[in-house]
Amino acid sequence: MLEKNNLTVLEEGIDVPLSFRLNGKEINLQVPPSRRLIDILREDLQLTGTKIGCEIGRCGACMVLINGEAFNSCLTMAFQCHEKEVITIEGIEEDKLDFIQQAFLEEGGFQCGYCTPGMIISLKAVMLEKENPSISQLKEGLAGNLCRCTGYGGIHRVLNRLVSDR
Amino acid sequence: MLLNREESRDRWRIRPDGKDKVTGALSYLTDRSFPGMLHGRVLRSGYPHATILSIDISKAKELSGVHAVLTHEDVPGLNAFGIADPNQPVFCDKLVRYEGDALAAVAAETPTIAEEALGLIEVEYEVLPVIDTPEKALGPDSVPLHPEGNILHETDYRRGDVAEGFKGCVVIVEETYETPRQMHTYLETEGGVFVPEEDGRLTVYAPTQHGYKDRMQLSRILAMPEETIRIISSPIGGSFGGKDELNVQPYGALLSLSSKQPVKIHYSRWESVIAGLKRHPMKVTMKTGADESGKILAHQVTILSDTGAYATLGGAVLNFATEHAIGPYAMAHVEVKGKAVYTNNGVSGEFRGFGGNQVIFALEGQMERLGQKLQIDPWELRKRNLRKRDDLGPLGQRMVPTDGPTQVWEGIQASPIWKEKDQTGENMEPWIKHGVGVAMTMHGSGLGYGIPDPAGGKMRLNEQGKIEVAFGHEEFGQGLVGTLEMLLQDHFQCDKGDMEIIIGDTDRVPSSGSSTASRTTNMVWQALNNMKEPFLKALFKKASLLTGIDAVKFQTGPGGIWLRGESGDFPERPVITYQELAQQGLEDLEFSTEFHYPVTPDPIMGAHYLYTSTAVVAKVEVNLLTGMVKILGLDHSVAAGPVINPMGYLGQIEGGGIMALGFTTMEDAVMVNGHYATKNMDSYLIPTIFDVPETQYVDAIEQLPEGDPFGPRGVGEVGTVAVAPAIVSAIYDATGKWVTKLPVSPEELQSSVEELPMMWKGW
Repeated sequence: MLEKNNLTVLEEGIDVPLSFRLNGKEINLQVPPSRRLIDILREDLQLTGTKIGCEIGRCGACMVLINGEAFNSCLTMAFQCHEKEVITIEGIEEDKLDFIQQAFLEEGGFQCGYCTPGMIISLKAVMLEKENPSISQLKEGLAGNLCRCTGYGGIHRVLNRLVSDR
Repeated sequence: MLLNREESRDRWRIRPDGKDKVTGALSYLTDRSFPGMLHGRVLRSGYPHATILSIDISKAKELSGVHAVLTHEDVPGLNAFGIADPNQPVFCDKLVRYEGDALAAVAAETPTIAEEALGLIEVEYEVLPVIDTPEKALGPDSVPLHPEGNILHETDYRRGDVAEGFKGCVVIVEETYETPRQMHTYLETEGGVFVPEEDGRLTVYAPTQHGYKDRMQLSRILAMPEETIRIISSPIGGSFGGKDELNVQPYGALLSLSSKQPVKIHYSRWESVIAGLKRHPMKVTMKTGADESGKILAHQVTILSDTGAYATLGGAVLNFATEHAIGPYAMAHVEVKGKAVYTNNGVSGEFRGFGGNQVIFALEGQMERLGQKLQIDPWELRKRNLRKRDDLGPLGQRMVPTDGPTQVWEGIQASPIWKEKDQTGENMEPWIKHGVGVAMTMHGSGLGYGIPDPAGGKMRLNEQGKIEVAFGHEEFGQGLVGTLEMLLQDHFQCDKGDMEIIIGDTDRVPSSGSSTASRTTNMVWQALNNMKEPFLKALFKKASLLTGIDAVKFQTGPGGIWLRGESGDFPERPVITYQELAQQGLEDLEFSTEFHYPVTPDPIMGAHYLYTSTAVVAKVEVNLLTGMVKILGLDHSVAAGPVINPMGYLGQIEGGGIMALGFTTMEDAVMVNGHYATKNMDSYLIPTIFDVPETQYVDAIEQLPEGDPFGPRGVGEVGTVAVAPAIVSAIYDATGKWVTKLPVSPEELQSSVEELPMMWKGW
C-alpha cells in the first residue's frame, strides 16, 4: 500500500489483510480489495446461507449483521469488515433456534425460503437495537427485504408473534 | 373454513423443509460447488434484431484461465429448445431475434476471467429494424421473424351467432384492456451446476418445474441418451412458471462436457431480466351485450398477445386465455379470436395464471360496466349469468360438475370488507378516497385436452424400513413436501421418521409430469390413493407370515404395524416394526402407479375438465393529489375441494394475491425499442411489506358435489387470477375512473388542477 495525498492507493494484485470475527470465530484472510463481503462468505468460506438476489442492495437476501447492525453484504466490501464482528444466518442460532426463526417456522413466514435468512437478520438487528420493538418498528426493519412467495401474510403473523410473545 | 392457525388446529404444521430454510442450512442448487469447478457465462446479443455476419472467438480462447468457448458450431444435437415447439436457438448462427439471444458461452477458472473472455469475443452484426409491437409484426411490411411468419398461434372459438345476439341487446359495452409484461422475480435467479461424471454421464443440478422434460430437452441438444443425464432439480428459490422452460441448462451442460469439469452458472439479476420469461402482455378487446334483465346475450372477444421472440408455451397460454375469456358465465352467442404474435421483445411464456389473469381482468370489467349501464348491482348481474353445476365448460366441453362459482359468489360476502361495500368513506381529507370492488372467476387446472399430462408415483418399503414415496415433482416453495408428509400421515398414522419423501431427481423418481398448472396436489393425492391399498395388503401379508397373526387385525402406526385396538388396552409396541419387516426382504413391497390427469372427453384443444373458483374483494385508498393507490384489504373466497395443508393453501392464496397486486398497481418490465428499460429491482418494483394489507381473509370452501371422485384441487394459481379486476373496480368506486391499462397509472388518477380547488373548498 502506498500513501499518497492522504489517499490509500492499493496496488493492483496486492491483497489486503482482513481480520474479523465471523459467527464468533476469528478469521484471518488476505483478500483482493475488489472482493465484496458476499463473495468472501459464499465462495471462500462456503457460508451459503447468505443469499444473492439483485447485487444492488434492493432485495435484502444478502443481509448480515456487522457490529450488530444489518448491512447488505453485496454492497459491503470485504476489507470494510476489518476488525469488525460479522454474524450471518449461520451464526444466529446458538443452542436452539432463535425465537425469530421459530416464529417463521410456526407462522408460515416463508415458502421458497430464499429471502428468509435476510428477513431474519433484518429483524434480529431491530431486536438488538430496541428492547421491545413495536410492529411498525419491526416492519420498518424489513423495508429493504423483498419476498415474492408469501405476500408478507406469514411475515405479518411473525411480526405479531414477536411482539406478543415478549 | 376461514384459513388461519386457530381454525386449522393440528393441521397447521411446520414444514419439513422449514428448519433448514430458517437456519440457512438448506443448500439450494445455486449454492453448490464442486472441486475444480469452472464458472460459465453467456454472451447475449444486446441487439433485438440483427443479422450475424461473423463470430470470432479466437482471442477469448487464448485468454489464460479459459477452458471452453462455445458457439452454434459446438452443439452436437439440436441447436434449439422449447417445451412445445423447440424454436429458440441455444446459440444463434445467422439471426438475432431479441436482445437476450445467446451467441456464445465461456467456462473459465473465475467469474472475472469468464466475463473478460466474453468481452474478447468479436461479433459483427448488421442491425435490422426492430419489431417491438404485435401490431407492427402483423403489418404488411414486416419481415417474418420465423419461417412460419409472425403468428405463433391463433384461436377462433364460436358458438351461436354474435351478430344475431347483439341485435337483441338493450345494452352493449365495448372496451380494450391492456396488461403488463410482468416478471416472475423469483428471488433466486436462474442457475445451477453441471457435473460430468466419470462414467460418462452428466449430472445437472438446476431448478426446473419438470425434471424429465429438461432431461428430454437436454438429450436432444447434447445428442446423449436420456438415461445418461441425471436432473437434480429441487429445492428451488421460487419459480412461478418462470423456470419451467430451459434457461441455464444448455449452456452449463455444453460447457461442462466440453471442458470435462464441473461448471457453475448463476445469472445476475440483469441476465435474468434480459433472458428470462415474462407474462404475455395482452391487448384484449371485449364487446358484451345484455338484455334488460342483465342476461348476457352476446360476447365478442379479440386477444392480441405479445409472445416475444420465441414460442415456448405461448400457444398454450393463448388457448388458456381464449377459454377463460368466457369464464363462469353461461352465454348463448360467443366469439373469441386470439393471436399470439412474435416480436423482437423479450420472450413471454408460462407464468402463474397462464393467460387467465389478463382476460379475467377484461371480462370482469365488462360485468361491472354492464351492471352499471343497466343499473343492476354488478354482483347481482353476475349471479344471473353464472353457469349451473352441470353446464358445459366455457368452450362447450364436458367438465366435472362444480358449484364453485355459486359457492364463491356467496362465500365472499362473509368478508369484513364486503360489508363496507356500500359505505361512503369515513371523515377523511377530501383528496383521500376509499373504494371497495369485487370480482370472481373460474380457473382450469391441468394442461387441458390434447396435451400429454401424465402422472405417477412410487411407493415402497425401503432398506431403512421407511415408507418411501417418490414423485417426479418439484419443491419451489409451494409446500409439496409438507403436503406429502401430511397425506402420508393421514394414510398410515406413522411418525415423520417412518417416511421418506423423494422428489426432484430423475435417477430416483418416476416420471410424474410437470409441477405446473395447479396439478400437483391433485396428482399426488390420486397417486397415493392408488398405491395405498396394494401396498398395505402386501405389507400386512408379509407381517402376517412373519408373526402368524391374521392380517385383518393389522393397522399401520408409529414405528410399525400394530394390532387394531379392540378392548381399549393399547399395546405398548408394534407387532412388528417397519425395520424388522425390511430386514426380512423387500421384494413384493414396491408399487407404482401411472395415470393421466383427468381430461374432458370432448376433443377441444386445451379445454379443461377440472376447475376451481375464486371471488376476491378489495378495498383501496386513492390519493387524488398523487394518484397513488394503497390496497387496504384483499380477501378471497376459494372453492378448490378439501384443504390438505392449510398453511400451504393459505400461503398460496396470500402470495398469489400480492403477486397480482403487483401486476395491478406497479409491475411492468418496460421495453423500449426492444430493450428492457427495467434492468434490476431498483426500477422493476415488486410489492414490499409496506404495499400490502396486513391480513388477507381466505375462506376455503371445501364442499364438492356429491360423488366427486377428484378430491383436492391445486391452488397454486387461483389466488392470482381475479385480483386485478377487484382492485380496479375498487378504484372506480373510489374515484369514478375506469382503469383499462395495467399497471394502474397514478397520473390517470390524479385530479386535474381544475378539480382541486373544489376539493379544498369541500374540506
